[in-house]
Amino acid sequence: MSLASLCHRVLSDLRQHLYTQIITTVVVSLSIVIFAFFTLIYFNLHQFVERFGTELGLVVFLTNDIPQGKIPGLYQKLTELPGVEKVTYISSKKAFKRLENYLKGEKGVLEGIDPKFLPPSFEVRVNRAVFHLKRIRQLAEEIGNWPEVSKVQFGQEWIDRLESFLRLFRILVAVSGLLLLFTAGFVVANTIKLTVYARQEELKIMRLVGATNTFIQGPFLAEAFMQGLLGSSLAIGAIFVCYRFLQGLAASSELLRGVNIYFLPWPYTLAIITSSILFCVLGTAIAMWRFLRL
Amino acid sequence: MIFAESSTIIHLQGVTKEYPPDNIVFSNIDLEIEKGEFIFLTGPSGIGKTTLLRLLFCAEQPTSGEIWVDGVALSSLSNSQIPYLRRKIGVIFQDFKLLSDHTVFDNVALSLEVIGLNRRQSRKRVMQVLEGVGLAGKWSNYPLQLSGGEQQRVAIARAVVNRPAIVLADEPTGNLDQERTNEVMMLMEELNARGATVVFATHDDRLYENTHRRVVKLPEGKFEIS
Ligand SMILES: Nc1ncnc2c1ncn2[C@@H]1O[C@H](COP(=O)(O)OP(=O)(O)OP(=O)(O)O)[C@@H](O)[C@H]1O
Ligand SMILES: [Mg+2]
Repeated sequence: MSLASLCHRVLSDLRQHLYTQIITTVVVSLSIVIFAFFTLIYFNLHQFVERFGTELGLVVFLTNDIPQGKIPGLYQKLTELPGVEKVTYISSKKAFKRLENYLKGEKGVLEGIDPKFLPPSFEVRVNRAVFHLKRIRQLAEEIGNWPEVSKVQFGQEWIDRLESFLRLFRILVAVSGLLLLFTAGFVVANTIKLTVYARQEELKIMRLVGATNTFIQGPFLAEAFMQGLLGSSLAIGAIFVCYRFLQGLAASSELLRGVNIYFLPWPYTLAIITSSILFCVLGTAIAMWRFLRL
Repeated sequence: MIFAESSTIIHLQGVTKEYPPDNIVFSNIDLEIEKGEFIFLTGPSGIGKTTLLRLLFCAEQPTSGEIWVDGVALSSLSNSQIPYLRRKIGVIFQDFKLLSDHTVFDNVALSLEVIGLNRRQSRKRVMQVLEGVGLAGKWSNYPLQLSGGEQQRVAIARAVVNRPAIVLADEPTGNLDQERTNEVMMLMEELNARGATVVFATHDDRLYENTHRRVVKLPEGKFEIS
């Protein structure tokens, strides 16, 4: 069978079965949209949580009676700890100023209070690359043992909760992702099966007049290829539009200011397109098989 | 297995066909058909004529026994070899088996397309054959726009357009009036004269009552041998 005759047959096939071709493509597309949207959201939540975690730092409170002279040495020591990115010194006075700012109109509350009642502290930011909850905990413990340090705060409880939440979240995502994928596969496979079964007479007749399986399958598989490619590309396109929309939303929202929205990484989108094509072609070949045996 | 003479083109030996659980259509059939022969396959409705023809082009497998077509034992054919056997055999199906969403022309051209001819190459031959069955004017119609007799003639045209060595005709005149029947009979004679072996299945005894051709009657008792 020549390429020209294959093209001719594909074209006349498309003309004759345009409606079913479109339906199949739309079904493929919708199934992927649902799955890909889900992964997009998951992916972004994941990124968000990860980054949020890295923005957590340690607050190292010093003893109230620490001599000024010791501060630079401590500063140096903190900076030299592995994984530490930035260290900021907050003196008692500065801490008091902050409190004042925070209280704004109700400054009166602080009247007569010694500006030195707040302990001086260091804010320690941890390097993103090294960031790991375990590492932060270690760091806190280490610093906490220094004699000049009265207390290290790093939201232990919060991190613990975040960690167990993340564990649960990952399981939930994996399970619902699999269910979604399974459903999508099931729907697409059955749509393909039905469209092939609707044309079983044609398949049988072609077999009866001496067509080889390759000849019969040619246009069907070519069409399946196009359905897979077109369906998944449309879906990715739609997800991209969603992504742009979310981006706009994030930019204009007070709450989400500074939150980056990411698109699915390109190897991932490529994998979606490839597997969609494979799925359609294989599904079609399998659905056809029972009519090509006699 | 020694194959008798090389002039035998269809050979059935001890062929039995049953449909489970308990429908034995025929059993232990022996039949030899010579190259270039024209035979009538007869017997009342439901006796198994169509079934026998279906065995010959591998649409069905015998429960036991062996069939040779053009020297090839059918039981030895793999799924991928069957199409090549079928290209040697033009089948006129009792129920036509036309593609309803293809035109008359495309239906007939299909037989040539499967062996690699494109539309341009097959046009002349298809139109010639359609003319032969009196349908040249309806080449662009769809099967459902045709009468039963016209559809039958499309089926005939498709079966013979690639000039097969063997023509299996299953009641090819079943829907035709006397005049058309005569035309079809003449067409079959003509194909036969050009060298094709013709197996003509019919329960209409008027078609063969005055013939000098061999008439094979499928046995009604289930254990006779033809
Ligand atoms: N796929 C099948 N499954 C079960 N039984 C079948 C099948 N095909 C045919 N038969 C049975 O085989 C028998 C022979 O049928 P067949 O169609 O060969 O008869 P026929 O001689 O061609 O009849 P007619 O002259 O009406 O065309 C019938 O009893 C039929 O019920
Ligand atoms: Mg019959």
